[in-house]
Amino acid sequence: MLLFLDMTVDWKRFILILAAAASLGFAWNAGSGHGITLGRSVLVQAGDELVAAPAGKRLLDQGALFLDARPRDFWRMSRIPGALPLPEDDFDPAFREAEKRLRRASAIVVYCGGYGCEASHLVARKLRERGLAAAILDEGLPAWQDAGLPLDTEPRP
Amino acid sequence: MTALLANPRVQLGLRLLLGAFFVYASLDKIANPLAFAKVVYQWQVVGPVPSNVVAVTLPWIELLAGGLLLAGAWRREAALVIAVLLVVFVVAAGSVMARGIDVLNCGCVSVAQAAVPSAWPPAWMKGVGWFLVTRNLLMLAAAMVLVTVTPLGRGATAVAPVQPAAG
Repeated sequence: MLLFLDMTVDWKRFILILAAAASLGFAWNAGSGHGITLGRSVLVQAGDELVAAPAGKRLLDQGALFLDARPRDFWRMSRIPGALPLPEDDFDPAFREAEKRLRRASAIVVYCGGYGCEASHLVARKLRERGLAAAILDEGLPAWQDAGLPLDTEPRP
Repeated sequence: MTALLANPRVQLGLRLLLGAFFVYASLDKIANPLAFAKVVYQWQVVGPVPSNVVAVTLPWIELLAGGLLLAGAWRREAALVIAVLLVVFVVAAGSVMARGIDVLNCGCVSVAQAAVPSAWPPAWMKGVGWFLVTRNLLMLAAAMVLVTVTPLGRGATAVAPVQPAAG
C-alpha cells in the first residue's frame, strides 16, 4: 500500500504568500498611477450628493421629483411613487421629454437598482452637466424597500 | 486513484492548469482596479470600502499563488491559498444566487467592459450562476489534490504489506 496523502503545510509560507500579495497590491494601488481611493465607494465621485432612504422619503414628502435611472421596463413594473423614468441607457430622449418638469422641480433625487448599480450616479452627473442639481438615493431601491418605504407597483404602459 | 493523482505528470498538469488560470485571471484586474472594485461591490457580499480592499489585494494573491504553482515552488502552500480563495468564491456565489442578485459579469477573469457587446462568452458563462460554481468546485478539487497528495518520487512513502511470519 502506498501512502501519498500528506497534509503537512508550512503555515509560515501560507501567511507569507498572503502578506506579500497584499503588500504588493497596496503598493501598486498607491504607486501605479491608476489606483483607487480605498476609503469610499468607487461609484462616488467628487460632486455626487448621496441621500439615505429616510431623508429621501422626507424630500419626496416635500415635493422632490424622483427619477428612475433603471432601464424603462423596470420603471414600468414598479417605481417610487411619482418617479419619472430617466433611464441611463436611453438618457437623451428621456431627458428631452422630462426637461420642463426637471427644470421646475424644487429638488431632484435619482435612484437605480442598488447592488452596486451605477446608473443613478451617471444620470446625476449628466444632469449636473446640464445645470441641474440631483441627489442620489444611496443604495437605491433595495435600501428604500428595506426602510419599509412605499413603492408604486401598478403596471405602466 | 490516489496513485494516479500522485503521478508526477498529473500533478504537473494540475499545477500548470491552475497556475496559468489564476495568473491570467489576475492580469486584467490588476490593470483595471476601478472596474474590478465595481464588480466586487456588485456582488454585495461586502460593503463599498471592503470591496475596494478586496479589489486591490485579491488579484495579487491570485498572481502570486498562481505564479508559485507555475514555478513549482511552495506547491502545497500556493495550492492551499488558491483552495481557500475558491471556497470563498463558491460561498459568495451561493450567497449572490440565493439573494437573487443579477451579477452579469462575475469579474472572474475580465473586468473591463467591451466597447461593443460581444456574444462570447455567453451570459451564463460570464455571470454568477451554476457554471461558475461548478467550475470553481472542479478547480477546488484540483487544488486540494495538490495540497494533499505528494507526487511520486517526492518523498511519497512506499509501505510494503506486512508479511505473516513464516513457520
